[in-house]
Amino acid sequence: MLLFRPLALSACLFLVGIASTEGAGPQQAAATAPDSPGGPGREIVQRKCAQCHAATMWTALRQDRRAWESTLYRMVGRGALWTPEEISAMADYLTQIRGPAK
Amino acid sequence: MKELVAQLLSNGISRRDFVRRLVASGVTVTAAKSILESVDTFAQTPGAPAPAEAVKMFQGNGGEAFAEQLIASGVKYVFGNSASEDAEFYEALVNRPQLQYVLTPHEGPGAAMAAGYVKASGQPAVVMTAGSVGLMNALGQMFNAWKEQTPLVFYAYRTEDSRAAGRDGFEELPGQEQVTSTMTKLTWGARRPEMIPETVRRAFKVAWTPPYGPAYITWNSDYTGEKFQSEIIRHDQVDPRMRVRPNPTEVERAAKLLVDARRPLLIVGDEVYRAKAFDKVVQLAELLALPVTQARSVHVSFPQQHPLWVGSIPGGRVESLTYPTDVDLVINIGGKLQPNSPAPLVSRKTMFIDMRNDSASVGSVMRTDAPLVADVAYGTEDLLAAVNQLLTPAIKARIAQRADEVHAFSAKARQLRALVSRNPLWDASPMEADRVTYEVAQWADKDAIVVHEAGSVEVSHSFEFDPRGGRELFFYYGAHLGSGVGTAAGVALARPRKQVICLMGDGSFLFGPTALWNMARLQLPVTVIVYNNHAYGGPHNRAISNLGGTGRSIDASKFVHDYLGKPDIDMSAIAKGFGVDGERAKNPAELKAALSRARRNAANGKPYLIDVEVARHGPGWSEDPWVPTVSRA
Repeated sequence: MLLFRPLALSACLFLVGIASTEGAGPQQAAATAPDSPGGPGREIVQRKCAQCHAATMWTALRQDRRAWESTLYRMVGRGALWTPEEISAMADYLTQIRGPAK
Repeated sequence: MKELVAQLLSNGISRRDFVRRLVASGVTVTAAKSILESVDTFAQTPGAPAPAEAVKMFQGNGGEAFAEQLIASGVKYVFGNSASEDAEFYEALVNRPQLQYVLTPHEGPGAAMAAGYVKASGQPAVVMTAGSVGLMNALGQMFNAWKEQTPLVFYAYRTEDSRAAGRDGFEELPGQEQVTSTMTKLTWGARRPEMIPETVRRAFKVAWTPPYGPAYITWNSDYTGEKFQSEIIRHDQVDPRMRVRPNPTEVERAAKLLVDARRPLLIVGDEVYRAKAFDKVVQLAELLALPVTQARSVHVSFPQQHPLWVGSIPGGRVESLTYPTDVDLVINIGGKLQPNSPAPLVSRKTMFIDMRNDSASVGSVMRTDAPLVADVAYGTEDLLAAVNQLLTPAIKARIAQRADEVHAFSAKARQLRALVSRNPLWDASPMEADRVTYEVAQWADKDAIVVHEAGSVEVSHSFEFDPRGGRELFFYYGAHLGSGVGTAAGVALARPRKQVICLMGDGSFLFGPTALWNMARLQLPVTVIVYNNHAYGGPHNRAISNLGGTGRSIDASKFVHDYLGKPDIDMSAIAKGFGVDGERAKNPAELKAALSRARRNAANGKPYLIDVEVARHGPGWSEDPWVPTVSRA
């Protein structure tokens, strides 16, 4: 029966997206990734992603640019309203700070 | 016609539906309207004498009395699982074909089927379980009915103080009703055999009096076989028909707030769907150029292609909407606004109007400036009239300006949602979940009903719902998983002329597939799509987030709680076991071909299941996930 709880939480987040800040306050949601070097996409990530996410949702992820771009388009599927230019800038920034492990 | 009148009087159908169904049965439109007026007059006449057939004396055993009262309460379907103690009830059904028994092989999906039927038809139904042991299986769906405010009646006999029991015997549970009392509007037991009909009536009356919710009734298994004389009373004779209008003072206050607001927002919810108040809500939104959104709900209660629709609230707070920003007034019509965060959905600083029939929850979490406790159809009607009184040319000009702004945003948002197909993995195999949804949406009928229990899958990028005759949504708000397949079967039973599509995650599917057998047996042509990533993907990602994006699991790539592979589970093979044909699809071309076969099956009254391989995403997954070994030592 313990399985129900995490699954129920998953269900709760339908309108929220896979990586929600439910349970997190605005301050936590606005947290930035550690070791951020800056870049044109940084401000967009902080502003756009923090609408719904805590940074801890994605700081564990390391992947190449194509995968980051795919992740961002999946967020479009979850209701994020971003332009292709914004997505490209965010993908650049995220690849810079969270690219594949070397 | 008697049945239609009963349904109308109990708000089971709208006035428009009443006329439409009468016309469909061969009555002229004029005659149908005349009948409607007569019924109105009858319903509003205090002390109108009860028609002879509305109250009758019945003599027989408890099982027969139960069946008679269910029929009088408007029930057509009993969703049950076999119990020897209910033998007299089964006997009673043999010569009462108007009361049909749907045998469900597990009480959970069986109750979900009943709930799906109730939600889709607006008609009453009963879930019948085998004493305490069967009831336990149905409790998950009782929980869902409680959370979703579904007026579903549950029955299970009890044995603890029957003549043969009282000594902790077979299936005995002391205080059986205690397990249901926290998630029902009413838990009630018949104290004597002749009270069975009264107890049944009470359950349907309470469940169907707004705000709706489940009821549980019980009596000693002995009673079903005992003979007695008792009244059987038709539902319309006991239904309080409680549709309340809001306090006029609060309506005036709300109208003034709405007219004065510069950045208002309208949230709609399930009470709009239940009251069929779509047209009035659209009218109010258009009158004031209100941007419209929705929080987590069972149904979509506003046409999503409408230029005032700005998308669902993505992050649990109004502030997470891209538009409008700096909202100064929120009006909620019929939404439960499920609180899932310490921060309220509507900020304390924002003016708030709350219109619902659920008076107990108004003001429980949100500070409220104008509480409108009402049937939302009446409430919106009154609000429309009050707002119209306040509109001046200057206010209308301001509203027109706002309309242009909202329309421009809405059009832009639709374009941006469509960008989902630019995902560089759009054509990949295993498939992106969004690609699956997109293909299903392309294939679906324009008025398809979508039953959605697919984990974290979001569908609004490809499906635009419109409860006014377009596509409809039945979402798993209650979140006791395993409801989707049963719900879809119940919806298909209630809406035989509609295409029913059931979207399932692999995890949720495994909690409740048994209603597939009901689909096969009853020829309910549901198309079931399973998004199969062989994992509990949502819990995987959120567990990592809860650990701050780090931890031993992710360092070692060892996750004990979320991988469902090795062996992979073949959902189409499971379906075949229940008599439902199906197949697996691994790429877009295979999915399209499978959907074509599903359509052909549906045309022949047959359900179909497509088990689609979708990609796992999130940190820490490897191509070959680690599986914990379990020592048997």
